[in-house]
Amino acid sequence: MPIPNTPFSWHRNKENLGIWHGRGKVAATGVGTSPTARRWDEKPETSMGALTLAAIRKAIDDAGIRPSDIDGIVLTPESTTGVTNDPNTPPPEGWDKVFKMVDYPQAGITRGDIDWVLLNMPELSNVQFKMYGTGCMSVAFTTTAEAIARGHTHTCLVVRGWHNLAGRYYVGQGAAALDTASGPFKYGAWGTPACSTAAFPFEEYCRKYGKTHDMMAAFVVEQRRNGLMNPDGFYSQHRPEMITVEDYLAGRWIAKPANIYDNDLPVQAALAVVMTTAERAKDHKPKPAYVLTHAQTRPETQGVTPSLESWERLSDKMGRMLYEGSGLQPEDLDFENMYDGFTLFHQFHLEGLRFASRGEKRGYALDLYQTDISIEGPNPVSPSGGNSGNGRTRWWNHRDSILQIQGRSPSQIKKPANNGVSGAHMPHFCDSLIWSSSPD
Amino acid sequence: MVFLISFDIDGTLEFGDPPGGITVEMVRRAKELGFLIGSCSDRFPSAQRAMWEAHNIEFDFVAAKHMLPDVRERFPADKYLHIGDRELDQQLAEQAGFEFLWDHEGVSEPWLDWLRTDGQ
Repeated sequence: MPIPNTPFSWHRNKENLGIWHGRGKVAATGVGTSPTARRWDEKPETSMGALTLAAIRKAIDDAGIRPSDIDGIVLTPESTTGVTNDPNTPPPEGWDKVFKMVDYPQAGITRGDIDWVLLNMPELSNVQFKMYGTGCMSVAFTTTAEAIARGHTHTCLVVRGWHNLAGRYYVGQGAAALDTASGPFKYGAWGTPACSTAAFPFEEYCRKYGKTHDMMAAFVVEQRRNGLMNPDGFYSQHRPEMITVEDYLAGRWIAKPANIYDNDLPVQAALAVVMTTAERAKDHKPKPAYVLTHAQTRPETQGVTPSLESWERLSDKMGRMLYEGSGLQPEDLDFENMYDGFTLFHQFHLEGLRFASRGEKRGYALDLYQTDISIEGPNPVSPSGGNSGNGRTRWWNHRDSILQIQGRSPSQIKKPANNGVSGAHMPHFCDSLIWSSSPD
Repeated sequence: MVFLISFDIDGTLEFGDPPGGITVEMVRRAKELGFLIGSCSDRFPSAQRAMWEAHNIEFDFVAAKHMLPDVRERFPADKYLHIGDRELDQQLAEQAGFEFLWDHEGVSEPWLDWLRTDGQ
């Protein structure tokens, strides 16, 4: 029987649902992060699959439990948004000497696969619950929270690996791979770089609120600073280079007003997290990071590119759903770790949450960036450093939210981290969770 | 005669990511022979400086890749060359009035011939 995807009814994508039924009953404990690499060198032992297995082992060890204690796994199968192989491409030579094979030849290479993981980790002997949280690890997190709250699993792995093959990431993909604009890609903006989808609404935002792209520099510099504190991040491991305001302002336009440093760098990496019931979490080694609620937004079809209006409306809705489900208010958040890959849309998330708002509803975030948004300050913005500071994964933010709540983030905020939020990816297409040090 | 060579980094220089075929020794030799040398890359300018310093190479300029025209304006020279591994390198070089070599074409150090043919 095929492994199912998340049932649609599990997503909290409407308002007026009240407090989440699982509030405080689910917690994250163990966290395991693989080494990073810029690209895959085609050796089995450095493949996305190998990194995934390494991350799982580290997460279980970090939780202080046995592999046989794990009874569930939720995995995001997509391991890139860029170049991938044809699904029938055979594995490289020597692959079968390192890993056992499943029917899908790209399992462990360009696709995460639960059967492949279990086949190559026989110590996970008690897994009963299996589900795919597709598209984004955010979905895997919300799926796992819901699965535990509903009693389908009590100790569950949340997993996502990222591959990055040699060569260019997006070039020759989508509509650009075709001679003419045809097939489903004809509905996209033909020939535009991916960051144009963030550049258009950002430009609208700047015009509406009288802001400039230069005002992003403070945020981007802070992202890199936070990322370089993370020993597991790509930049800290491979390119410990601090960006300056001058560097950022000199960046080449990719889709003006998005410059090259507003884009995140594709990397190879994997993350695994152990999530469990509040009762069992007490017996795990790390302090529990409780889930207070989760929520989802999806695009309302309006055209081939997102608009400022839809981004504001849907990120506002995300804020309202999260506060309704958790019972918290904006002022209860000690930090926010919303998605940043592209940097230009981070402030839409931030404003939808009314994070560090002084009564403002919209148009204040770029001014906030000019204040102290560091981990030492009163309003820590994206303490993880996000994709911008660590490389492209879409999960540094979730990982760091858990570690912040546990008090062991490498970029730990200086004020107490009691409540925080993380979500990905775009302002109109997002799955988010509120994390807390207390289940109550 | 004054000659200027701009190197892309990733995919071009041996310490790029991915590594290219142009070695530190080739760059150092060009510098010792009087070429103006530096880098025009998508790496941060501050990171480019740090790279040259880490390899103990005295450089004349660093710039963002699209700033080749600025380099040309700052350094009067008789010949300008940019070496890179992407079509974008070629496009930006030609727009800025630089000659262009692909990374693999640079491995034979053809600029050394300029000293014989143009450097009298």
